[in-house]
Amino acid sequence: MPSQPHADMQLIERAGYFQVPGAHLYSVLHEVEQPAARVLLVGPFASERHNTYIPWVRWARFLAERNIEVLRYDYRGIGESTGALEEMTFEDLSQDIRLLAEWLATRTPKAPLLLHGHAMGAVLAGRAFDEGIGDGLLLWSPPVSANQALRSTLMRWVGLEQIFKFGANRRSTADYIRELEQGTPLEVDGYEWSTKLWKESFSFPLPEALITEKTGGVAYDRPVKITQLGRDAAPLATGGSVGYDDLKDFTWLFKPHYEWIAEAATKSNQRAQYATSN
Amino acid sequence: MQQATETRELIRIEILGYRLRGTYHRPAEDSSASWTGRTSSGGTAILFFNSLALPRAATGDSAVYWAEAFARRGYPTFRFDLPGLGDSDGQTSTDLLEFINSGGFAPAAVGIAKELVDRAGYSGVVMVGHCAGAVTANYAAAAFKKCKGMILLDPYFHLPVAKRPETREMLSDWARRSVVGRPLSNLFDRLKHLRLFLRGSALPGNANTKLLSKWKEVSAAGLPILVFKAPGIKAQGTKPRVGEFDYLEYVTKLAGRKSDLVMKSIETADHSFANRAGREAVREAAEGWLACHFLPADSAAHAKADSLPGKANKRSGSTKTRVAPPNPDCALEGR
Repeated sequence: MPSQPHADMQLIERAGYFQVPGAHLYSVLHEVEQPAARVLLVGPFASERHNTYIPWVRWARFLAERNIEVLRYDYRGIGESTGALEEMTFEDLSQDIRLLAEWLATRTPKAPLLLHGHAMGAVLAGRAFDEGIGDGLLLWSPPVSANQALRSTLMRWVGLEQIFKFGANRRSTADYIRELEQGTPLEVDGYEWSTKLWKESFSFPLPEALITEKTGGVAYDRPVKITQLGRDAAPLATGGSVGYDDLKDFTWLFKPHYEWIAEAATKSNQRAQYATSN
Repeated sequence: MQQATETRELIRIEILGYRLRGTYHRPAEDSSASWTGRTSSGGTAILFFNSLALPRAATGDSAVYWAEAFARRGYPTFRFDLPGLGDSDGQTSTDLLEFINSGGFAPAAVGIAKELVDRAGYSGVVMVGHCAGAVTANYAAAAFKKCKGMILLDPYFHLPVAKRPETREMLSDWARRSVVGRPLSNLFDRLKHLRLFLRGSALPGNANTKLLSKWKEVSAAGLPILVFKAPGIKAQGTKPRVGEFDYLEYVTKLAGRKSDLVMKSIETADHSFANRAGREAVREAAEGWLACHFLPADSAAHAKADSLPGKANKRSGSTKTRVAPPNPDCALEGR
């Protein structure tokens, strides 16, 4: 298990547009010649994508340097992907994961496919895993539902908004939610959240079995790891300062999770060999 | 996976040993397959830089929105991630702000601009930067002769002061929330104003003098510059908060009479300009300003752009003309 990067490895990153119905998803494949595993990264949503981008890319590179092939992508209507966020549904996002995972799984040589979801991405990856996609699942700070992920983004944005507002002009998170629920779209960090998106997010939960790692391990016959990130993981967790925390060294976080992925891949290979021999 | 859509192309160039990644927004009417395979030469390209640590899409994907709009107007538009940011290779300094404020990204920014000019045959580039990105644009413009103009969003010309003590932060927060806090905060501002008045027009101790000298170099030489300003805390228009040094007034004076400088306050914007009203106001004003100063990349796009509503029509010269003379009828020129 190579916990150190391959010194002679020439990392290849292929950026492209992955076509799905109604959008082109911006995707970056961190290509590896003989991968020990493949990981589909399902990242944070909307403005959280921007705040976590540098550590997210570094995580993909950290894995690729250690012989794990990685595919990361932008949700439709966000970042470099095309499509309209206002028209997006959570079912569209789920369908996109299915298509990306299918594409990744067909790459050769064959290797176990793991899903890694973070924040909103954890809900999406968890649901895909529940449908039977992937040989293992890693979740960072999974919210209990898509709504909790949106709410957390909203609270962070309101906190920043309040810095610029005085007295009666300061509005609470509850005020914004009330407006949203009454049918007025809300702009959060430059993204327009529709009432439809907000309402739909309530009925888009993380599968119950994935609320804890223990229940996940019991429910699925595939490896599951769940990590709640603390403030020290900012900006991957809330807190910290933009422009400073993005650039810090995350080896302390990446290394154990890489080791878990490598171990999960080994177990998956052993299981496959056992199934073949029987 | 495809490298391009109908209107965008993903590109990768090597600058200073780094693989830098960007997005090219193909101008209207340009049917060439790739940014390097253009059929016509000349014209001005537009180049966006990252704002601090943000990826090239910028807050709320506002840079994508503006790039698409400028491309529709016929301007080939590029958004690049600088080394260590977004999808580009490289490790950035852990004190990114200090690195940017000292012009650390300028060599890479110039390298990108030069590559666009050399490989695609543009006559020059207009550099666009927001906040820290404006600082990079300013340094790069001074170092690259074929920089034909700058669009700066909420530029700053000072260096950060040491982090304020937590008690001071708490006091500020209380002043913002409390009814009693507001007048106290106003009183504090007045005292700061008095101190500023006594200092005369002297620059504050934390002014970024290196950046200001680069600004003077490009602005006094008549480089067309469009500056957008969003309202700050307790501030209106392009004026700063009472008690704060007026850098925009200072840099306007520094630019001198030969300058081609437009300052535009966007009252509906927040600092990111990413909110709908803010981004639309920026787009509208920037499109007008671009039309006043620069020809789109090819004549076909040029002709189409001329027929668009709200477009300044008095542009002279053939497609070989690099920079059109400022249009006296242009609304933005009446400053």
